[in-house]
Amino acid sequence: MKDLLAKLSKLNDKYSMFTTITADKDAGDSKFLFSAKDGLTSKDMETKCGSRILEGYRPVFDATAIAKMREAGGKLIGKTNMDEFGFGSFSTNSPFGVPKNPYDLERSCGGSSGGAACAASVIEYHVALGVSTGGSVCCPASFCGVYGLVPTYGRVSRYGVIDNGNSLDKVGLLSSCPFQIAKFLPIISGKDPKDPTSCCQPELEIKGKKIKSVAVPENALDGLSKDVRSGFNASLDTLRGMGIDVEMITMPSLKYAIPAYYIIETSEASTNLASYVGMRYGRQDGDLSLKFDDYFNYFRTEYFGDETKRRIILGTYARMAGLRDRYYSKSLRVRLHIISSYKEILKEHDAVLTPTMPFVSPRFDEISNMSPVESYSADRLTVPPNLTGMPHMSVPCGYDGNGMPMGMQIVTDHWQEDRLLTFAKEWGAVFDVRRPEVPL
Amino acid sequence: MKIGLEVHVQLPTRSKMFCSCPTTDAEAPNTHVCPTCLGMPGVKPVMNKKAVEYGIKLAKMLNCEIPEVMWFSRKTYFYPDMSKGVQITQYENTVGKKGIYYVNGGRPIHITKIQLEEDPGKTKRFGDQSSLVDYNRAGTPLTEIVTDPDFKTPAEAREFLRQLIADIRHTIDLPDDGERSIRADCNISVGVERVEVKNVSGLKNVERALTFEFVRQTKILKAGGKIERETRGFDEERGVTFSVRKKEWEADYGYINEPDLGIFHIGDLARSITIKESPTKMAVRLSQEYKIDQKTADQFVSTSVGLAKMFEVLVKATDIQTALSWTKGTISANWKTFEACGKDPEGITKIIKKLSEGRITDVEADIELKAYMAGRDACAIREQCGDLCKIIEKYLDANPEIVNEIKRNEKAINRVIGHVMKETGGKYSSADIVSETKNALCHRL
Ligand SMILES: [Zn+2]
Repeated sequence: MKDLLAKLSKLNDKYSMFTTITADKDAGDSKFLFSAKDGLTSKDMETKCGSRILEGYRPVFDATAIAKMREAGGKLIGKTNMDEFGFGSFSTNSPFGVPKNPYDLERSCGGSSGGAACAASVIEYHVALGVSTGGSVCCPASFCGVYGLVPTYGRVSRYGVIDNGNSLDKVGLLSSCPFQIAKFLPIISGKDPKDPTSCCQPELEIKGKKIKSVAVPENALDGLSKDVRSGFNASLDTLRGMGIDVEMITMPSLKYAIPAYYIIETSEASTNLASYVGMRYGRQDGDLSLKFDDYFNYFRTEYFGDETKRRIILGTYARMAGLRDRYYSKSLRVRLHIISSYKEILKEHDAVLTPTMPFVSPRFDEISNMSPVESYSADRLTVPPNLTGMPHMSVPCGYDGNGMPMGMQIVTDHWQEDRLLTFAKEWGAVFDVRRPEVPL
Repeated sequence: MKIGLEVHVQLPTRSKMFCSCPTTDAEAPNTHVCPTCLGMPGVKPVMNKKAVEYGIKLAKMLNCEIPEVMWFSRKTYFYPDMSKGVQITQYENTVGKKGIYYVNGGRPIHITKIQLEEDPGKTKRFGDQSSLVDYNRAGTPLTEIVTDPDFKTPAEAREFLRQLIADIRHTIDLPDDGERSIRADCNISVGVERVEVKNVSGLKNVERALTFEFVRQTKILKAGGKIERETRGFDEERGVTFSVRKKEWEADYGYINEPDLGIFHIGDLARSITIKESPTKMAVRLSQEYKIDQKTADQFVSTSVGLAKMFEVLVKATDIQTALSWTKGTISANWKTFEACGKDPEGITKIIKKLSEGRITDVEADIELKAYMAGRDACAIREQCGDLCKIIEKYLDANPEIVNEIKRNEKAINRVIGHVMKETGGKYSSADIVSETKNALCHRL
């Protein structure tokens, strides 16, 4: 532990996974070290949420998840890099450097919790707090070859989560070790009076409930890269070998998930972003003698990134009078439809299984050639479970010819994290995770 | 002419709508604030249950339909005093809708909806170069009561508002200075197009603003002009409205459901809440139940609901006629003093009972009531009164000719009064002396 703090800044020079790291070189009497995505507010560390607009912002309170980790004896070592406000699948929409994939520095860590996945991959037994809105934990977990768990919506308090899409945001955990995730999920879980959407369900109990059958939606497998397809097929064989029943099904509702998701997410996000006008926190500059709307315009034009502006425009459009019914309200109905289609399948099976991402981590030069629609549709497998609020997990399941990791995503019914954690431990015993080579 | 009102009422909760900051007046700007009401990144609003209860009470008072589930919405617009850039308000499934409210027990006014929302902060111009923002008020719970355009005259709108405020005050125990926390947006159309006069406070100003608009719009129409759809302000000093902004189209607030608060199942709560009888309903009931005229009943409740209740108690203790004349007279005249000194209304009932049983005279009852209602001890008063009576009787005994003179000329009573005043050295008020003298004369004339 002591060792890590000493070499943290050197590691970060190589991977750019943190935007802020602790100045302490001493772990003190802490029991464990952890990191948190910079979309979670931290009392003693700058919180920027990947945006220049929040530069210099030091919140006066800890996010509940961070507070609970600290109460359990954890020490926060740093804030991990991310796409601005969580908008992206590659962590390239960040003005504070782009985190680099530990398996190949020319490739992305995934997004938006890219820095978190990188830290989980590079640092042994490390646990990183991430946030998922549409795949922001599973996607980077898959690209960086680690486990990433997204609990049921409401299992973990969102207090201190800098909102992207409030009805979708969930605090999750990433680690190269499934036991770490099983250990820390109960710590950050529970009802929080500061977040009315936090759960009033029974406490999380880990009783070792197993996954005995999985359903694989065949229509979700279209358009997979060759490597991911063969890696995934091999994993299905491993699952059968573990005595798990694998059944191929079709799930037509999945194709509506992406449009519904992007409408709900951008609608909510665009209202959240309305508070960033350079008045009360973060950056405050510009010509104060301007009329307020001119000042707000200047400020938002200057300091929001392109992707953020794109989502503000999309979201504002989708909820405008006259279009609201056609887009925003309809998407809410689509969401209900998708939830019930999962519920239907989960009556017969313990989980729904797909690859996590349709391809392994792309190179940065490939990413810069992607259109927004191409990069949005990269999330087509992670978005559906996020829309439903069901718990899901990405586990490493194979490597391509270049040694790049890939992951598979398991979704269970609401509040059934127990099954996921039990499965992850069992999978960890049969699947040999290759760790990246880390210098020093 | 069509007039509709949107009435904003501040709810008397101790803490703000979504955080625990106090709603009381602060000593300095931006001292009653926290990360939540300042809209710091990462905070979530937490509903103040009391505000929901008040909302339900008002919805019931206005005879609204209350839904099983309600939710909140985000209304997005940019203004420096809006800390979050969004206001949490209600758009669909508000706490109440389709209500009906009777003005003076007569004409029905339809209530479109009643919604809960938070107040923004305040912006203050400071010199000509800067503005200061104070967020102390941000997050204070409000309800907005929206009426259909049912009013036909400014005076009727004023009367509605007067009655509404009295009812609200009673229903949710609004403090007496609560009127400053009631503001109205007044919508008026003389022709086709509607004009909205924003943020008018006070009954008189509502009527003035509407009357001004009526005259202004009528003149424009007579001169062959067109009324523009716009938002106007009201200048209280000059009594005129002025244009604030043109409304070529409805402002688009891009409402979405407030995702941080979720859905509220309020059906059971609403069924468990009963509200006190509002002054308006009480007045109607009094006039019907006791066959007294509406005006008197209105007068009773508008003086105080306590006075109206007193009347009902007295009716039971005596009879309608006695209760009515005394409530209208001495009791109502002294009611404010009585309420201020906090004595038990039971004492009043006792005095009236004694009167109706013939144990005291009208004059004695009057004296006792006045004394009791002023907070003075009735026993001591009676003794004093005894003294006064003795002095008067003694004088009349000694001067029997004066009784005969008074029979001929009422003014002769002044001699008695003059004497008693001199004798008692200003210990009694002349009114008391007059009534006591008359009482004493009753037996002799
Ligand atoms: Zn507050």
